[in-house]
Amino acid sequence: MNFESKIRQILSDSDRTIDKEQFINNLTKVRYKHQLKRSQSISSVLAICLIMAVSLTSYFELDQGIIHSSGNYYFSDGNMFHSEFDQDNFIDNDYLLDDLVIYIMEEEDDIWTAFTFLDEIEFDNFINYMEEES
Amino acid sequence: MKKDQELIQDFQNGNEEAFNELVRRYLDLVHGFFQKLTNDEMEAEDLAQTVFIKLFKSLKKFRFESEFNTYLYRVNANTANTYFKRNKWRNILHLDQMVEPSFDDNQQDREWKKEELWSAISRLPKKQRSVVMMRISEMLPFKDIGNILDMSEGTAKVNFHHGIKRIKVLLGIIE
Repeated sequence: MNFESKIRQILSDSDRTIDKEQFINNLTKVRYKHQLKRSQSISSVLAICLIMAVSLTSYFELDQGIIHSSGNYYFSDGNMFHSEFDQDNFIDNDYLLDDLVIYIMEEEDDIWTAFTFLDEIEFDNFINYMEEES
Repeated sequence: MKKDQELIQDFQNGNEEAFNELVRRYLDLVHGFFQKLTNDEMEAEDLAQTVFIKLFKSLKKFRFESEFNTYLYRVNANTANTYFKRNKWRNILHLDQMVEPSFDDNQQDREWKKEELWSAISRLPKKQRSVVMMRISEMLPFKDIGNILDMSEGTAKVNFHHGIKRIKVLLGIIE
């Protein structure tokens, strides 16, 4: 008997039957488990991608390029709302202050008290105005 | 009775029962192959399960360029190679502890010989191992083995010859 036949003889008693229906049931369960795992992995990856996208967007929105110069940090105000502090409103506020000073001058019985007050708050627009008038 | 090709087409059209029919048809072949290879009922069942899970995934894209039989044997061979790779070190260590081997039926227990034989097969280079596995466990002709493993009949024969020679050396039958 040659070597190949001897090997076959050794292996010949290995044939055993298997319950096919039981095997198919097990296989179906394992397949569903694999599918579940796969969909869970996909969901996890998508969630991670979403979190990363939101994080990156937030980072780029907040970080408008900080400039460090002479020990100071400068931030871009590009995204700030235009409020009453913008340039136009500052001009309007000057007029409002002038009007307020004129009102004080007119209403105050003693004009020197009014001048002292304006001097204390270092407001000299009105004094200049009076000088121009005269 | 439907042909394999028709069952695969049904499966590709969404009929999972067609796949189960394929499993019923080929389970004995796949399980028998791994039973011989592992000599362990549980391990054989696990490996057969691995093969059918691989088939479940891959048959959806099967393009009928080869026979289903050929394709199945190829999946079997790949799964067996992965199994051998996984157990390589275990087998090497086991072989180191071998007692004097003999192929005389009166002297050695058959189960013991089977284990040593597969341990030796697992130490062969991949091509030789695949050819030897198919030849001794499935008794396939060299032409079919060549088809399955994408090699010529002559190459399959040469690989088998070298593989057997190496097994003899590993088992201490020849120097």
